[in-house]
Amino acid sequence: MTTISDIGAPAPGPAPDTIPAATRGDHRGSWIPTWGMITTRFMELRKRRGLIIALIAVNIGIPVVFLAVRLISHAVDPKSYGPAGGYTIFTTLVLGFMYIFGFIVAAVVGCTAGSVDLTEGMFRHLVITGRSRLALYLARIPAGLAIVIAMVAVGYTIVCAVCVFAAPTQLNYDGINVPQGLSRPALDNWAAAHADEVICNFNYNGPNPPPNIPCGNGTSSGGPGPGAVVKTPQGTVIPVHVTQAQLRAFAVTMANQAYSDYRSYFLAPSTSSMIDVGLWIALEAAIGFTVGLGLASLMGQRTVPVILLVVLELILTPIFSRHVIAHLVNVERGIVGVAMLHIEPGGLPTPFSGGGPGGGGGGGPGGLMLIPESTLAASLVIVGWIVFWTAIGAWRMMTRDA
Amino acid sequence: MSTLTLPDTSPTRESGSHWAVETHGLTKRFGDNIAVNGVELLIPRGCAFGYLGPNGAGKTTLIRVLLGLTHADAGTMSLLGYPVPKRRAAALARVGAIVDEPRFHGHLTGRQNLQLLAAAREPAARERIVPALERVGILHRADDRVSKYSMGMRQRLGVAACLLGDPQLLILDEPMNGLDPAGMHEMRDMILSLVAEGRTVVLSSHLLDEVERTCDAVAIVDRGKVIRQGPIAQLLAGSSFEVQVECSEPDRARRLLDAATFGAHVQVGPDGLAITLPGGTGRDVIGEVNRVLVEGGISVYRLQHVQASLESWFLEVTSRLGAPE
Repeated sequence: MTTISDIGAPAPGPAPDTIPAATRGDHRGSWIPTWGMITTRFMELRKRRGLIIALIAVNIGIPVVFLAVRLISHAVDPKSYGPAGGYTIFTTLVLGFMYIFGFIVAAVVGCTAGSVDLTEGMFRHLVITGRSRLALYLARIPAGLAIVIAMVAVGYTIVCAVCVFAAPTQLNYDGINVPQGLSRPALDNWAAAHADEVICNFNYNGPNPPPNIPCGNGTSSGGPGPGAVVKTPQGTVIPVHVTQAQLRAFAVTMANQAYSDYRSYFLAPSTSSMIDVGLWIALEAAIGFTVGLGLASLMGQRTVPVILLVVLELILTPIFSRHVIAHLVNVERGIVGVAMLHIEPGGLPTPFSGGGPGGGGGGGPGGLMLIPESTLAASLVIVGWIVFWTAIGAWRMMTRDA
Repeated sequence: MSTLTLPDTSPTRESGSHWAVETHGLTKRFGDNIAVNGVELLIPRGCAFGYLGPNGAGKTTLIRVLLGLTHADAGTMSLLGYPVPKRRAAALARVGAIVDEPRFHGHLTGRQNLQLLAAAREPAARERIVPALERVGILHRADDRVSKYSMGMRQRLGVAACLLGDPQLLILDEPMNGLDPAGMHEMRDMILSLVAEGRTVVLSSHLLDEVERTCDAVAIVDRGKVIRQGPIAQLLAGSSFEVQVECSEPDRARRLLDAATFGAHVQVGPDGLAITLPGGTGRDVIGEVNRVLVEGGISVYRLQHVQASLESWFLEVTSRLGAPE
């Protein structure tokens, strides 16, 4: 018979209820990650060259190249190429590109942060440290957001700077130069003074057709050329002889119709608008990261979650935000992208309309055809997505076999 | 057959604090497959302990259960006196482990990987990064990316990761994998030096020769059960051993020994007789063999007692108990 104790008397050990002296104060069982855990996780993500290049390319590189080309083109040939910046360019870049692809790239970062410890074999090492698994999970959130939000902020700052400092000096509305920021009476007065240009270029929606006047070729220069009948105002059916007074009155009517749309046009984005939109796209990126993190942690891999989130952002959200499906309307409202459109800063077009003021039709924020949803409900949906996916990811992290 | 006798009434057992690892009835199932089957294991502090078993015997699963990488279905366990999983954080604070192949973030350097792991430990762990890298002999490659490391270097980095917590207990699963002979020698020396510092090293390996050279005690696991455990010397003493005899007239000598009642198995080989005696046979039987041969008129030129190696004992035990039931 042999006994283990035969090989020597075991050394005395710690009493079971005492904490090793060297580990006192490190709060190893606490769910709150330490600063060191966050900074080293930040380092781990930051050192992923491919990921960071993709982040920089999307959030900074593409907008910078786009603006640089416009700046150079305008500098070389200002008559053919308009100013590089301005409100229209701002909305096109930010909403047509940075908002959508910022989400996707943030989701890729989240999916990476949520899965690489598992796929690269580090999860086991980390669990063996005895550190709370919840703390290990939560450390990824500030670390990842620090990267994602920083990239978004840098790209967005560049876009804002160019759009403000290289903005056009005159507002181009419906193809003609109109002074910015006119009140309704002022716009009426201006329209009366530029009746031919207004009639030839502004959209008209009313019972009486506009008078048939000759419009010049290329309406931006405005005004009918002598005898050059190339174009007539839209909807013209009855050629009648009109007086100048009648033309002015009609131009005022058209200006009145266009006023609410005109008000959404600016030479450059305002400071408050830039802050609002910046926070909004930062929130979108943060959602992309958080959802990606939770989904990848749940699935234990990166590829499928990335594909799912790309499908969500590029296919499902545009469809669900514009088409009411009778029996699924509450499901549509529960899509985070749809909810985000409902809290879009006022006066902006929808990100899925191709950008530019007035590009989305009418009906919702920025004149969009969105499915109806209250701001409170939209806010709850957004908070719900963040909380749900964080909880799901953390739960899986805590219960997964390492 | 040697079996473990637990000192059930001893105060040390009751306190649960004198064993580096203590398990009772530990069970882990994967569906219908019982990977760890009611394991009773006691590993004393301050020794090198080998944990052996054929492939699929449940060695790694038991280690994973001990470390909280997966949960146990039944039984109790403690590490360094702390019940797990109840006091898991406190227990693992002084435990370092390599489970399976050590893998790290390939895009980070060895040093950065250790920084990541040190951040999850106590603040002092950061100060142990350089000494740990130095001790395992890869300080000169600490700032190279791990993707450029060989398997052996990753093993060393794994051991360095274990040392970050100034561990009282190290659990090393196949630490010799990927090491060249010189690396294995260094690893063996390092394990012995760790034990000399009062740490406990649990070594799971299929390299029985290395285990025999490194460990004081072993446990053999098969089909999820610990079938033998104890000090190596005692376990081998209880196993069959061989006596080699060089003599005149080997065939007649064999007949004489067959007629004797030693329970020996005698074979005639080119170098003489090989007599295999069953486990538990006393050394005085060797003298009896000599007496029988001399009294039978056989000239005995050489008579040598050959102790069974851990490998031959392991094969004997596992082939006897590992047969299909």
